[in-house]
Amino acid sequence: MNYLTRQELAAWLDRLAQEQTLIAPLDIAGNILYRPVADTHEVVWNFVRSFMSVKEVFFPRTERLMLIEKIGADVKLTETLPDEKSIIFGVRPCDARGLLTLDALFIDNEPIDPYYAKRRENTTLIGLACQSLGPSCFCTNVGGAPDDPAGMDIMLTASGDGYVAEIITEKGEKISKRFPVFDGLSEIRPHPSPARKHGLKIAPKEFWPAKFNDDFWAEMAERCLSCRICAYVCPSCRCFDVRDEALPGGDGQSQSERVRCWDSCNGIPYRRVAGGHNPRFMKNQRLRNRFYCKFYYFPIHYGPVSCTGCGRCIDACPVNVDITEVLGYVGRR
Amino acid sequence: MTDNMNTNPMLPYLGKLVDVKDIATEIKLFRVEMLNGGAEAFHDYKPGQFAFVSSFGVGEAPFGIANIPKNGANVLDFAINRLGSVTTDLHELGVGDMVGVRGPMGNGFPMDEFKGKNLIVIGGGIGGAPLRPVIQTVMANRSDYKYFQILWAARHPSLLVFTDEYDEWRATADTELHLTVDQADSTWNHSVGLITQLLEQVAPSPRNAITITCGPPIMIHFVNRVLVDKLGFQPEQNYVTLEARMHCGVGKCGRCNLGTKLICVDGPVFTMAEVGTLLESFL
Repeated sequence: MNYLTRQELAAWLDRLAQEQTLIAPLDIAGNILYRPVADTHEVVWNFVRSFMSVKEVFFPRTERLMLIEKIGADVKLTETLPDEKSIIFGVRPCDARGLLTLDALFIDNEPIDPYYAKRRENTTLIGLACQSLGPSCFCTNVGGAPDDPAGMDIMLTASGDGYVAEIITEKGEKISKRFPVFDGLSEIRPHPSPARKHGLKIAPKEFWPAKFNDDFWAEMAERCLSCRICAYVCPSCRCFDVRDEALPGGDGQSQSERVRCWDSCNGIPYRRVAGGHNPRFMKNQRLRNRFYCKFYYFPIHYGPVSCTGCGRCIDACPVNVDITEVLGYVGRR
Repeated sequence: MTDNMNTNPMLPYLGKLVDVKDIATEIKLFRVEMLNGGAEAFHDYKPGQFAFVSSFGVGEAPFGIANIPKNGANVLDFAINRLGSVTTDLHELGVGDMVGVRGPMGNGFPMDEFKGKNLIVIGGGIGGAPLRPVIQTVMANRSDYKYFQILWAARHPSLLVFTDEYDEWRATADTELHLTVDQADSTWNHSVGLITQLLEQVAPSPRNAITITCGPPIMIHFVNRVLVDKLGFQPEQNYVTLEARMHCGVGKCGRCNLGTKLICVDGPVFTMAEVGTLLESFL
């Protein structure tokens, strides 16, 4: 078993930050966000959950897919795959689970998305077990746990004045070799955690089709603003849009970039085609689609349920649309 | 161009416009000669498959490929209606300009399963574009298919697509072409009215027959109703190709789902029996 004091942990991270990009939780205007840091000077060690998930490191809000250069009648495309190596410190179990969910879509489901896959390959995750659940957390109800090491390369659990470190993968072992205190790959302990919201669980797949035409969705949608914040804070929502953006060019060369950016199925134009037809023009159709995607469509297409119980959507929603209320409703016979 | 060209599903192949012509009001037929890797990628696609066409600097959108592969000609046809930002920009391009093409994508029509059957192709407006490869397949392999009926419609005569090919279609053995428009002009000497009315008049027999429909969703819905309720077809006999907004074409972006199906990889071709079992309506 590896044990590090806070000072040792900070010293190790500082050393890693010299070699790779270190991304760690910072307090930015009252919100915890994962950002690149030069050292651990301003890192937040105690927090419940970040405002945005680590998803944005792997699947950025907006990312360049390629550079497009028009040179006379010719067009030159330059693929812009990310190659930066980085380490994220302080990853919460719900976010690591979100990445496993996105892996099922972007990597396990052919064809591989090279942008996401490269970032996953080049990034090492240092997990930090949650000391307590936040008011909206419900990971234990959807198969996760506050100390679940799934998806982590190294898992840290605060203990006394320091941290117990479990080295889980070879990637984790590689960065631990840079510090004498680690003694190699650990055995992963079982992490039993009690369910918190009593009785709440994911409604099984067969429950969903029968509830599709229920009035519940319209009632729920009455207060929905279609603002899309639920999808943006979600560690496993992945809808995206692709378009070209102009870049300043010169010498008769016109430059642009093809970008992809986050989108959400709650947005009004999401399904609208150029001719104007929109099969999901009603708010309840869009709100319903998001929940069906998470618990019915996504598992059918890619395997895992697309919800990690982080509760961010519950906190972020300006009108209290609550995903646990949906699970409670659909789970009822 | 790098070796990653073939492994990155978001990276388009380059193609050169070798012909651009107006075929109807605000509709142009673009003929794209595929360059480098694109020629191999598109050497053997199926009727009903689609591709993303890029207007570089604006973006890309999916379009049904409007022709069949011709022995190594590396040329793709796209009939494109000027409607949104990408199509508006494409309409500004001319011969010699470069576009991007990603694909081929989707399942396509099972033309082999249609062999030995009577075929009824029903196209509305720009919905005729993905049906042209079906017509071309039948014409190129005429003895493989039985009686062939084409029902072709548009809101107005000026919106009918592929008009300069009608004589060739009509001249094909055992082939009928029926035309209708919602609103006629002084030169029009064919039917006037909705395609459902024309369909009732032509009244094809459901015996050993397959229908293939593309058009606006509301047309697809009512064409299927006439076929099933009035002419005795089973929904399994009625093939349709559906449209959806999409941004990847490879089952990632989440955009095109219709209930549990993804139009980009599970479709765009479905039978109305399949469409009927979906949780969500395409309308």
